Amino acid sequence: MPVFRWGNPLHAFPDLEREMDRWMKSMDLAFEGLRLGRPFPALNVYVTEEEYLITAELAGCEPESLDVHVVNGELVLRGNRSLQGAIPEERFRRSERPSGAFERVISLPERIDEQKIRADFVNGLLKLHLPKLPATAPRQIKITDLNQPSATDSNPV
Amino acid sequence: MSASIPSRSESSDPRPENEAAPRWVRTPPIDIFEIEEGLVLRADLPGVTAEGLELQVQDNRLTLLGRVTSAAPEGARLIHHEYHDGDFLRSFILSDDVDHERISAKLTQGVLEVFLPRTPRAEPRRISVQIQ
Repeated sequence: MPVFRWGNPLHAFPDLEREMDRWMKSMDLAFEGLRLGRPFPALNVYVTEEEYLITAELAGCEPESLDVHVVNGELVLRGNRSLQGAIPEERFRRSERPSGAFERVISLPERIDEQKIRADFVNGLLKLHLPKLPATAPRQIKITDLNQPSATDSNPV
Repeated sequence: MSASIPSRSESSDPRPENEAAPRWVRTPPIDIFEIEEGLVLRADLPGVTAEGLELQVQDNRLTLLGRVTSAAPEGARLIHHEYHDGDFLRSFILSDDVDHERISAKLTQGVLEVFLPRTPRAEPRRISVQIQ
């Protein structure tokens, strides 16, 4: 049962329309992944006591063509997978493997030792090891009471 | 189904207790294209080594099974998930003009390439017609 505002009931429609618009937009975003297929490369992120581990499925990519860097707390993975070579499109009977340029951005959790990030590439699987920084000891912050100036605080003569 | 592909339960590699959880079997994406001498099939099998790959032709069916050892270290917790850490399985029906004896394959950086050569065409044979 729709609830209309007091006054002109038609005034409720622009609101409803806006609401629908917003809803449709969020649907679009939600289905973008489905429409474009799975994200490439597919990533998994694991966490252990010592590190975070990101694995990326990059079969057929040359390690030299991959660009991994950390900037502003985000890890950026870029690359290009070219598959066809010199084979013309009409010779393909089936073409399911994604190709082209890709970029994935992963927000890094805090307390990562960015200097010690390590990347291995074996059998088409990229493994990014992100070591955690050791937990820092709690640091006591001294509170100075300004109402009771201590003896050391005396004015210089 | 090809009976000679061992299922996970009768797999010979003993896995540690904590890995006894059911394994995922995935369908790898493939490309198939024609060249002069036959067909080339390429499949993405990231994480598969040559030892973990089984390629079989039985009757007219080509079956590929790629075993993946999990990349996750001991005691790791999965916090973001986009793919299942599982084995790759796919099979294909070969047409009659594929020369089964000469099928060859190579695996480079997680990409399997199978060459399916065409059977050499038989020479036209003249059939003599007897006149009665």
